[in-house]
Amino acid sequence: MQTGYKTTFWISCAIVLLLLLVPTLGSKYLIDLTTEILIYALFALSLNVLIGYSGNISFGHAAYFAIGGYSCAILLTTYELPLIISMPAAIILSGLAAAFVGYFCVKLTDIYFAMLTLAFGMLVWAVAFKWRAVTGGDDGFVGVNVPAFIDNRYGFFYFTLFVVTVSAALLWLICHSAFGRTLVAVRENRVRAGFVGVNTTRLRHTAFVVAGTFAGIAGSLFAMYNRGVYVESAFWTESGQVLIMALLGGLYSFFGPALGAAVLYTLQVGINQYTEYWPVVLGIILLIILMFLPDGIIGLAQKLRSQFSRKA
Amino acid sequence: MKRLIANSETKDKLGARTKVAVAGAAALSVALLSGMGSAGAADIKIGVLYPISGGGAIYGGPAMRGHDLAVEEINATGGVLGSKFVTVARDSKINPAAAAAAAKELITKEGVNVILGGLASSVGLAISEVARREEVIYIATIPKTIKLTTSKLHPYVFRTASNTDFEGDAMAQIVKKVNGKKLCDIQLDYAYGHDLGDGIAKALPKHAPGANIVMKLRPKLGATDFNAYITQIMGAGCETVVSGLWGNHFVNFAKQAAPFGFFKDHVYITGGEIASHEVASKLAGDYPDNVWSNTYELWYHSPTGAHKKFQARLAKKAGTNATAMWPVLAYNGVMLYKAAVEKAGSTDAAKVIKAMEGLTIDTPMGSLTVDAKSHQTNTGQFWGPMKKQSGEAYRRMEPVTFVPPPSK
Repeated sequence: MQTGYKTTFWISCAIVLLLLLVPTLGSKYLIDLTTEILIYALFALSLNVLIGYSGNISFGHAAYFAIGGYSCAILLTTYELPLIISMPAAIILSGLAAAFVGYFCVKLTDIYFAMLTLAFGMLVWAVAFKWRAVTGGDDGFVGVNVPAFIDNRYGFFYFTLFVVTVSAALLWLICHSAFGRTLVAVRENRVRAGFVGVNTTRLRHTAFVVAGTFAGIAGSLFAMYNRGVYVESAFWTESGQVLIMALLGGLYSFFGPALGAAVLYTLQVGINQYTEYWPVVLGIILLIILMFLPDGIIGLAQKLRSQFSRKA
Repeated sequence: MKRLIANSETKDKLGARTKVAVAGAAALSVALLSGMGSAGAADIKIGVLYPISGGGAIYGGPAMRGHDLAVEEINATGGVLGSKFVTVARDSKINPAAAAAAAKELITKEGVNVILGGLASSVGLAISEVARREEVIYIATIPKTIKLTTSKLHPYVFRTASNTDFEGDAMAQIVKKVNGKKLCDIQLDYAYGHDLGDGIAKALPKHAPGANIVMKLRPKLGATDFNAYITQIMGAGCETVVSGLWGNHFVNFAKQAAPFGFFKDHVYITGGEIASHEVASKLAGDYPDNVWSNTYELWYHSPTGAHKKFQARLAKKAGTNATAMWPVLAYNGVMLYKAAVEKAGSTDAAKVIKAMEGLTIDTPMGSLTVDAKSHQTNTGQFWGPMKKQSGEAYRRMEPVTFVPPPSK
């Protein structure tokens, strides 16, 4: 294992250990907030495979989050299937949906790719909205059955921590494999990567499927955590929000989007407690990122570290 | 660091950007830490969720005024069981996921004793689910979807608003009154619209067995262009239209339909509180003929002495005599909880639930009783035709008829 990877591994272990201690602090609110952050962190990490590693901006990533959520909720509740079947099936369905949509999207690049992801995303939203008999339409799919072992705050927290840790580890392995490295090459120069024999279309398609599948995992957790899924989860604003999370944390760092999710979600929840003008704050955050922090919080930290080390 | 920055223009830019970013983060932290509300240990905390931003603010804002009025009145008379009511308000945004997250935060962080509010049906259902899980009472003051007190009913949810079955039943009674035979049904394509359509269809055989719905149309929530629907209705040959287009949906529909002579040829019976001051004042001289609609409250019609006093207090608070309809709904929710806590002698949820089941309270609109089984109050509404008044563009309901909920 390289030295940098070793450090990442031990820091990750330390973070997971610290997270394991959250329930011992005795605050129900903190447990809930951490659970929500973990779910959004996984959602943002999944998007980063597509944006940070393959350089494809998606405005419809919420679609796979919603497909994972609705599928898991429907299988658990309407069909009364056990979690061991429902959740994997929901994840597979998200992956299949991403494979289908991705097949068309990767034929395009740049703004056309982004617009097509938006179009498919809104299509999923429209289906969720109109298919009232199955999804509950505008009412949402409320009252999701969850197994007894996660039908309490503590059980669900540890379950989420386990699923998110395993998913993040898998994503890390994927992004740092030969596949991940080649993705970065495609991101940096698609034409040159093609010239050296990389099937860029297939590679981008695989990245699309990986991103959609892991978004489906986050969506399944979201549905079970809230005991409900709502059409708003598939709306383009949700895709926009996760994009801002990734931007805020830093697109070109593996853990950046997770950090961005933690910061943005905490700010959103915190600011909503004092003012209804969260969208204004969100706009200011976006401006700050674009004008002053193009590499996100991780980029800022790296710059600060480099400045201090030079000074020393 | 200063020397390093001076050495290079790039580094200078970097330093400036860094400073701005750090300053921004610090400003946000200060913003987060400031304005923290405070409540004494013995206070009774009321969590409130109305949309106070975006498109829903025109309803949520007045509702909050009614809520605040109730809390002020209660605290001015010494509170409840020696404790003051303290409001902890959050923005529900007409977004169920956001409302559910806010409800959870109100319960787990703020430790509220009860949650009041909601507006859209989807938001009401989402809050109700949180209330069920967290075992905290939720009083739905505005959401009307029938599911809240039927298929999604649980011990912790109560409703002081009317519901889509009550509204549909009243509309069927008016269909009979106007001798409607061929009906066109136009509802918004979402929870409230679907449930109201079902409510009308259920009640028609009971009140107007001779009436038939010959066309059903479902424009989407938020639609602004109704021309295609207007021409379809005019071509269908129905003489009566039943509808639930509320707020701006009706305002747009009326303005677009009037040039076709639509309201001369059709009797338009609608739920969605189109007779409320909010819509009547917005349409003013453009308010069409032949419209029968409903409202919870009318500032110019006092059925009880209590309403007269309530309306005067509300007018003082709002700074206008022509007050909105939504405040009374929020007001009644607070008053129901107060009465239940007094009866229970405690804020313990189980005791308050027991006290609330079957409880009767006096409100500005008359007495309200909570059904012990369905947790639905017997909330009726005022129904009637909207008539022109001499010397003013503003239409008023005349005659005003109170339609109680249907008997079981």
